[in-house]
Amino acid sequence: MTTRGRLTFGVLIAAFLVSSALEIGIGPMAIPFWRIIPDTWQYIHGQHTTDATVIGALRWPRLLVAILVGAGLAVSGCVLQAVFKNPMSDPGVIGVSSGGALGAVLTIALGWSAKSIWVTPVGAFVCGLLVVFIIYRLATIGRRTHLYALLLAGVAMGSLCSAIITAILDLSPLEAMQQMMFWLFGGLDGSDWHEVILLACTDAVVLTAFVALAWALDIMVTGEEHAEGVGVPVQRVKQVTLAMCALLVGICVSTTGVISFVGLIVPHVLRYFVGARHRALIPASALGGAILLSLADLLARTALSPIELNVGVVTSCLGAPFFLYLLFRRGQVWGRE
Amino acid sequence: MPMLQLDCVAFDPVLASVTISFEPGRLVGVIGPNGAGKSTLLKTIAGLLAATSGRVLVDHVDLRTVSSKLRAQKLAYLPQTLAEDIPYTVREFVEMGRFSHQSMWSEVPKTGKARVEDALAEMGLTTFADRPMYQVSGGERQRAGIARCLAQESPILLLDEPISNLDIFYQLDIMGKLSELAARGHLLLVAIHHLEFALRFCDDLLVLTNGKLVAFGPVEDVFTEDLIHEVFGIDAAMFTDPIRHYPRLSVALSEQKHGPGKAARV
Repeated sequence: MTTRGRLTFGVLIAAFLVSSALEIGIGPMAIPFWRIIPDTWQYIHGQHTTDATVIGALRWPRLLVAILVGAGLAVSGCVLQAVFKNPMSDPGVIGVSSGGALGAVLTIALGWSAKSIWVTPVGAFVCGLLVVFIIYRLATIGRRTHLYALLLAGVAMGSLCSAIITAILDLSPLEAMQQMMFWLFGGLDGSDWHEVILLACTDAVVLTAFVALAWALDIMVTGEEHAEGVGVPVQRVKQVTLAMCALLVGICVSTTGVISFVGLIVPHVLRYFVGARHRALIPASALGGAILLSLADLLARTALSPIELNVGVVTSCLGAPFFLYLLFRRGQVWGRE
Repeated sequence: MPMLQLDCVAFDPVLASVTISFEPGRLVGVIGPNGAGKSTLLKTIAGLLAATSGRVLVDHVDLRTVSSKLRAQKLAYLPQTLAEDIPYTVREFVEMGRFSHQSMWSEVPKTGKARVEDALAEMGLTTFADRPMYQVSGGERQRAGIARCLAQESPILLLDEPISNLDIFYQLDIMGKLSELAARGHLLLVAIHHLEFALRFCDDLLVLTNGKLVAFGPVEDVFTEDLIHEVFGIDAAMFTDPIRHYPRLSVALSEQKHGPGKAARV
């Protein structure tokens, strides 16, 4: 790795620690940084003082969900950009976000969400995967998945999903509408330890698989025919990548709703600093996504306190200008100067 | 013993059934007009296109039954075009030729790295090795592609128009190197538009037109003025270069077919 790459990792790790400490410490009830470790210790040992409960039951799960979802979205975006060889790719292109949102909105509209807190997340997950599967089937002719067909089918399915969502929103009472908005713009409100465990397991499996595929992904960037020529099982790599991204983003959407832009910008920004080799880019993207989402959540909670913004609003507001700055100042898109 | 066999290989509707055996140590020129099926033939052999019928056998093993990696160890394929925006250095790109020799986790070992350096040197790329691929010229990119095939160390090389982007120095240089590779026992199938170079450098010619195999065999037997007229619709006359004594071709548009045209040297 280059000096610039090592330096970037150093900065990322430092930023990760700082943003994590801020996300835990700052809130309606401020907790001094030097209290974080002792209070956490107390919570683990069952001493439920007020501070320990706020840290253990609210702030830690919220931070960890932000880290795991941010990392998951950024890594999915990074990998999809390589496989599609399209810098515009993010987890949205395979339909998992719009499908997930539709699933969540449907369960609320049909009144099923009142039956159990698990109905809406499960609905979002199932519907997200269903849409990915439909798009994959549409774009697979013979034994080959055509990437342009996949992109176009994704756009079409995405607009179909949002049309249905809009129609449902039009027809819903105000209360249900507010509940639906959480899923459409994403939020980390109400994160709990079950979600953390589920996300941690999925992140671990998927990230390991992607790091193992790192060299194959590098080669996919040089073109499909080329990749096939040197012995990359292109169709298998596509299938595995799509399935893994669908699973990971499906679980992210079902815990936090749709959070846009993290998957698009994080890999682009980091490609500039650590290069386009995936063995470095995947871990860097994971860290970058985790930092962006925990900072975004911190801002969402505190900027207009006590009103809480949707975190998706903040990721876009933070990410878009920075991204545009990099794009137009450096004139770089695909990890070039 | 044949190294590569095509057994009734067809790709509907572009390529009609082809049955040929190739011996090792030959440089085979694949010639024919645009749209004759040259690229389709190479892609079908390489497994990029699934043949609609027939089998491709390497050392009597059906390629459909082996993994992508094993196939790449037997046969390297270089596509006609290379993306212009590859974000890796020339060396990293050439190193990708080692993919089929590696497990997922391990780094390229010393012997592999040495092969990469040899391939870079052979294609005259050592000085460009650390430049990003998007900063080198079209010719250098093309040479990097060939170097990648060399690093792959496959006995069979399928090259789709490997000299079409190169200046005359590298056209001659690369055709010479491909001949050397054949002399060392490789089998090369090279799609080529440059008829004089095909005549001068290739051992065998495979002639395609409209997706049909017209002729296959040693250059001396296959390359006739009548065949060129029939396949390309031009009038060709072969002669020996007065200075260097290699075969040359004087060509002109055929009068019957396209009306009067200007004579031109290929």
